[in-house]
Amino acid sequence: MMSPVPGPDKKTKLLVYTIEECPACGQKTKRAFAVGDYVTKEAAKCSKCGNSTRVSLVYAEGQKPSG
Amino acid sequence: MPAPFTISESDNSSRTFKSGFAASIFESPVFVPSSDVLQAVPGFDTSSLVTLIWIAFFALTFLYQTRIQSYLALSEISRGLNKLKVMKDKARKDAIDYLVNVGKAPNDPTQRVDQFLDYVTIMPVDMDPNGLVGKVDHVVTINNDRVRAEVGALLNQNNPVTVSISENLLEVATSLNQIHKIVRHFYLLGKKTNSYFTLVQLQMLMPMIIQEADALLNATDSFKMGQPVGDGIGPVVVSRLMAGKDKRVIAKDTVMAVTEYKGRNLYVLKADGPMAYVGQPGVAIQKIVGEMGVKPSAIVMIDAALKLEGEKTGEIAEGVGAAIGGIGVEKFQIEEAATKAKVPLYAILVKQSLLEAITVMRKEIAEAADKVTQVLNRVIEEKTKEGDDVVVAGIGNTLGVAQ
Repeated sequence: MMSPVPGPDKKTKLLVYTIEECPACGQKTKRAFAVGDYVTKEAAKCSKCGNSTRVSLVYAEGQKPSG
Repeated sequence: MPAPFTISESDNSSRTFKSGFAASIFESPVFVPSSDVLQAVPGFDTSSLVTLIWIAFFALTFLYQTRIQSYLALSEISRGLNKLKVMKDKARKDAIDYLVNVGKAPNDPTQRVDQFLDYVTIMPVDMDPNGLVGKVDHVVTINNDRVRAEVGALLNQNNPVTVSISENLLEVATSLNQIHKIVRHFYLLGKKTNSYFTLVQLQMLMPMIIQEADALLNATDSFKMGQPVGDGIGPVVVSRLMAGKDKRVIAKDTVMAVTEYKGRNLYVLKADGPMAYVGQPGVAIQKIVGEMGVKPSAIVMIDAALKLEGEKTGEIAEGVGAAIGGIGVEKFQIEEAATKAKVPLYAILVKQSLLEAITVMRKEIAEAADKVTQVLNRVIEEKTKEGDDVVVAGIGNTLGVAQ
């Protein structure tokens, strides 16, 4: 579930992402944050090597409103 | 170019304004003095009247300057106070909604939450500072235990993540309630006593107070979602060192693991995640150095640090000393343990604003984790040698960061 939160300048909306990283091949996948995600949580299978990935980061990124 | 305010003296029978703003006023349908009327007033001179008005204006401004300033200050503080009221009400509502919807509180928790918001922690007397830190620690521990027990009793579940988030939401609501009360106190006091200086001081502080309150309110969104906050950067770095290692609880809400880096034994510790805990790193380090008999060559602490205006978010600073905020108890314990054992304390800090520290972790801060790991490795390599023991502590709120 995407969770837009106000950014520091109010005009920027922050979108929260979860980064899944494969400990075997280092492949990183970025997806929208879902409630229940936390760093080190076991995540989906790696699309490259099939190993289990882990959540390595959860962070918010600014999105300037279009228009 | 016409003069802005001139009186034609060419015709004595009628004084007319030729141009300018004043002319437009006197020529307007609202104020049309006929020359006869003006003539009828003995010694009347329009320019003298304008001068008189100006003198009166300056005299009034001079005499009632503080009154006018006080009035302006009161009106600005009043606007700020209304904002604070909206914020504290929202934080209270958020806390109640979370307890009901996520915590599945069996009964309406509103009354209990309202009582909770007014709870006070009475700090020990400091006339005799001997043993003061121990007393403060005792009082704070009692308070923390009480809060957790009461929140646990309010909820219909004992999921530690939900309980810890509820605790944090109630803390935010309590803080906003306190801020509102204090500002309202000085506002009413200044109004009652007509104290210009009280009001002006409060007026000057209002933008900072609102900013801090706004940061606290924004924090509730991150807490409700269980997202890591900027303050959790230390735990993020340490969680990577703990991955796949055996963990043990070393102090209340604090876990430790032993790992190895280039021949050094690393005792890594952080608060127990993914709960919204900060743990007791002071107690943990005292145990490692004392009870466990470890003789570390260095203690490295990783923490978030408030940046100054102009500094970039995610910048890394290195230093020495105990990198930990809070009331001072943990800092004292770490300094005490390090001084007794003559262990150098090294700090790695990630710069961020207050808002960034208590709301969802920004990309710049999260991406600093790799750089912090590099700095940590370099510090360990430079300051210790193979076979040494090193303590690495990730300080901060570990919400959304497990190990």
